[in-house]
Parts: sequence; structure tokens; C-alpha cells
Amino acid sequence: MAILEIRNVSKFFGGLAANSDVSFEVNEGMIMGLIGPNGAGKTTLFNCITGYYPPSKGEVVFDGKRMNGLQPDKVCKLGMARTWQKVRPLAKMTLLDNVMVGALCRTNSLKVAREMAMEQIGVVRLEHKAGFLAGGLPIGERKKLEVARVLATRPKLLLLDEVMGGLNPAESEDIIKLILDIKAQGKITQMVIEHDMKAIMRISDRIVVLNSGEKLAEGEPQEIVNNPEVVAAYLGTE
Amino acid sequence: MKSFNNRLASIRGAGTVKIVGVIAVAAILFAFPRFVESPYALHMMILFFLSTLMGSSWNIIGGYTGQYSVGHAAYFGTGAYTTMILLTFKDIPPWYGVWAGVAAAVVVALVIGTICFRLRGPYFVLASIAVAEIIRVTALNLTDLTKGAEGILLTDIPPFMIGDTILTDFSSKVPYYYISLVLALLMILVTWLVQNSKLGYYFQAIREDQDAAHSLGINLTIWKNAALVISAVFTSLAGSFYAIFVKFIDPTTVLPLDLSVQIVLISIIGGIGTIFGPVVGALVLVPLSEMLRSNIIAQGLINSGLVSAESATGIFLKEHLAHAHVLIYGILVVIVILFMPEGVLGFFRTIVARKRKGAA
Ligand SMILES: Nc1ncnc2c1ncn2[C@@H]1O[C@H](COP(=O)(O)OP(=O)(O)O)[C@@H](O)[C@H]1O
Ligand SMILES: [Mg+2]
Repeated sequence: MAILEIRNVSKFFGGLAANSDVSFEVNEGMIMGLIGPNGAGKTTLFNCITGYYPPSKGEVVFDGKRMNGLQPDKVCKLGMARTWQKVRPLAKMTLLDNVMVGALCRTNSLKVAREMAMEQIGVVRLEHKAGFLAGGLPIGERKKLEVARVLATRPKLLLLDEVMGGLNPAESEDIIKLILDIKAQGKITQMVIEHDMKAIMRISDRIVVLNSGEKLAEGEPQEIVNNPEVVAAYLGTE
Repeated sequence: MKSFNNRLASIRGAGTVKIVGVIAVAAILFAFPRFVESPYALHMMILFFLSTLMGSSWNIIGGYTGQYSVGHAAYFGTGAYTTMILLTFKDIPPWYGVWAGVAAAVVVALVIGTICFRLRGPYFVLASIAVAEIIRVTALNLTDLTKGAEGILLTDIPPFMIGDTILTDFSSKVPYYYISLVLALLMILVTWLVQNSKLGYYFQAIREDQDAAHSLGINLTIWKNAALVISAVFTSLAGSFYAIFVKFIDPTTVLPLDLSVQIVLISIIGGIGTIFGPVVGALVLVPLSEMLRSNIIAQGLINSGLVSAESATGIFLKEHLAHAHVLIYGILVVIVILFMPEGVLGFFRTIVARKRKGAA
């Protein structure tokens, strides 16, 4: 069953079509990979889906509800949470407080929020950093903070925007394991933007390829690597 | 995990020390008028409490929520005018009037919030100034209600009674001392409650990154307005208190941009987004403005022999330094921003932390 339907979504910035007529569905429980060269419109699509700005055309349906025009806070409450490609830590708050802000989406009690937050901090294995200011953490840990913080909002659909960008191989491996663990638990559907081809091929059940704002291809990882158009798009821009 | 629990424990320990400290200081302050009768000393203490109240009120919206309102005179003036108009024209005693003032300030806050919170950063600052100026000009021109530039003079205050017993007839500074002390302590308590609840987490999240906060389920309009309303309520109480204490208000004393700036400075100089920052800010600013007013600084420079009383500089300083408070505040802010970005309180905290590290 589709938890997310993207129907003919376009987004224009002045004359530039950052997304044009993109359609696809994400089924419950799966990991959907979203790839494409830099500037293909991946982040823009995340922004349209999560209400950061409304799509210029088309619609986004989540869990049977039409999302167009809903503000990000409503979208989060409905169970869709995203991380940011350019990390956005709440710098002068501790790691624990950052994750608690996520948890407070589901509770009014600081005590409950603290327990929920510690649980997610455990999931990303940063217990020893819980009391540190978020702004002072190295990039790898700030990426993990983002993941713990959105997990604490108890999402049904998780949108991860290049969470492995800037990480060393060991840290990337941690994140891959984390994404696969989440899938194994079966409660959260994931859509993942990633530049590392090996990683995305390994984790995705299906992949959508964007190029210059348009959907270039969609299919299982094997189909995608063997698709001449996809290969050309990547070779053409490298 | 262990080090984290230790850290939590030491934070809690520090909390207990702080609470005991606050209670001890509060006890001394409550006893103070029994030992000190000097009206001048009481007057200075009242100004200190009032500044603490104003700075801490602003701290909720500016310090915790990061929305730099430079229009808080609007709420101060709304409280002052509402209380004063009800008292002088309708004979409604101030202990009812202040609540009308609070209600009016909440309405003003929600109107200003709806207009200004669409804007971010410097645009928000400019809008908050503009709206407060509109209110000042309105008060200046609504002469039927406010007497305009002439101002409202209070001739007598009804005694404060419960049933038939007169609690006080406001003939000395002592009742004002206790009222302002209680208001300041109440505001510190409110700040503590905010900091230790969902409010504090959401306010600070908005301050640190609006877009991230928004995407984590925080409705920006609701929570920013909540912060502004809390801030406006206590700023309005400060205004009402000021009106009754000074017994004269006009648009240039309770609604000017000057006042809005001073309210911001209390918090910025002390340290924004902390419970005691505004207290420290008031401790710095109240004596400073008193020294400027009474020309102690110019006299000091002359007495110390640095500047001769007969020289052009000496004469200039004597005549003008008292009126140069805005300039001096400006210099002070530059110094604080350059050398103490976390405010005076933050500056000393860093020094203490460094010393501890050195010792360990
Ligand atoms: N807010 C914006 N205003 C104008 N142009 C934008 C904006 N956001 C993105 N773009 C443009 O849209 C295109 C797609 O960007 P983006 O979605 O960030 O790509 P990707 O995430 O795939 O690298 C780029 O050409 C980018 O410059
Ligand atoms: Mg991107």
C-alpha cells in the first residue's frame, strides 16, 4: 500500500523548473532511494513534500491525506519527518535538548520527552555526548543528532537528505546499519537521498532518478544501474 | 553514561545551591527596609527591582525566543496609561486597574505579534519599532483620553484596603519597595518555570533555528505569540507600577523608543536567555544611569585631576555628560558585544569555568 503518492509535482523558482511533473509512489515499509546529479531537484522535492514550501503544481498525498498547503509543523504531527542536507542543529542547546524538542511533538511532559530522547540517542550511539552543546559536535555526530531528533518525533515516514554526506566510511557504515535496522523493525517507511551509489544500491528497495527536475527513471537498483539514460546523466555531469 | 549521570547530578546540585542562594537573598531583601530607612536607598532599590522586572520580561521573547523586539515601550505604556486613566478619570483603584492594563497589553501584543511575526531578523526589529512608535504618536494625539503631551498627573492614591483594614496608604516608599520586590521575584520564578517546561524548549528551538523548529512540529505563530504575551503581561505590570510610583506619565516617559532600547539593554548587558542575566544587567545599568544623572562621573573626572574644571573639556563634561546617557549606553553595548558576547553574567561564568578547569 502506498503511504506517499507524489502526483505531477512541479516547482518553479522564477523561470527555473527545479521539479517538473514528477510522479511516483512510496509503499509502506520500504526504502525508496532518490538519486540524481547535483541540482537535480532532490532537496526541492523533499521541501515540497514536507510543506517547507507548496508545490507550484501537482499534489502530495500522505497516508490518504492531501498535504498541499499544510505547514511543516502539521506535516510533522501527521507523521512525516525530514532531516536537512545542510544540518540544522539547535546550536546552543545540548544534544539531549535537541532530541527532546523532537520528542515534545508527542508529549507535554519533559520527563517523558527525556526518556524518549535518551532512547533515540541510544539508537545512534551518542549517549556519551548527550550533555554536549550541539553546535560543538563534529559533523558526523551532528548528522546522527538530526536522525535521532526526527526519530523522536515518532514518524511513519522518514525523509533523509544526504545523511551520509561528509562522513568517513566507518560513520557511513553506522548510518547504513541504522537505516536497515529501522526497516527491519518494520514501523517506519524511509525515503533516502544519497550521493554514495554503492550505499544507495545496497539499502534501497526501489530508486527514483531525477535529472534537471524531471524523473528520468524508476525501478529496482539492478534496473537503475543498467539503465543507459541514467548512466549517461551521471557521466554527462561528472 | 556514567559521566553523563554525574554531569546531571552536578547540574542538580548547582540548582540546589542556586535555590538556597535566591531564598537567602530574597530574605535579606525583605528585611532591608527594617534596617535602612533612607528614602534614597529605597528609591534606588525600587529602580533596581523595576529594571529587573522589565529586563526579565523582555528576556522571555528576546532572550529565550530570539525575537528582538525593540518596541517593548508599547506594553509598558499600555499598562501605565490604562492604570492611570482608570484611576484619575474613573476612580478605579490601581489594584484593579493593573489587570485592565494587563488585558490591554495582551491585546496589543497579539495585534503586534500578528503583524510582526511574519517578518524575520532585522525586519522584525524594524516592524516592532514602527508599531511602538505608532502607539506613541496615537497616545500623543488622543488628547481626550490621554491628555496628550500634557501628560497625566496623579494627585492622590486611594489606600490599599482588604475589607476595612488599611494595608497601606502609600505615604512612604516602603509599600512600593515591597510591591516591586514581589513583582521582580515573581518574574524570576516565571522565567524559571518557562525554562523548565515545554515552553522553554520550544522558545529556544525557535531562537536557534526557526525552520528546524517548524519541521519538528512547532507551530511558530502560536509559540512566538505565547512568548510575546508572557513578556507583554509583565512589561505592562512594570508600566502600571511605574505610573503609580512616579505619579506622572506622558508619551515621552512611558512610550519612547529610548525606553524600548533600555529594556533590551538590561538583558543584553547582563546576558540573554538566562534566568539571572537581566538581574545582573539591572545591577550594572541602574547605578550607571544614576551616576550619569547625578553627574558623579563628570565630577569624578574633575576631582581625580584628569580633567581640569576650568578647561573647556571640564565645562563641557559637567554640562553635557548627564544628558549623554544614550551615548554611554551605546559605548557600553559595544564593549559588551565585543568582549562579552554572552553578557556580563556569561563572561564571569566563563572565567569561573576556566579557573576550575585550570585547578582540576
Ligand atoms: N529557494 C530556491 N530559490 C531558487 N532556486 C532554488 C532554490 N532552491 C533550489 N533552487 C535551485 O533548484 C535546483 C535544484 O536544487 P536542489 O533541489 O537543491 O538540488 P539537489 O538537492 O538535487 O542537489 C538548483 O538549480 C537550485 O539552484
Ligand atoms: Mg540536495
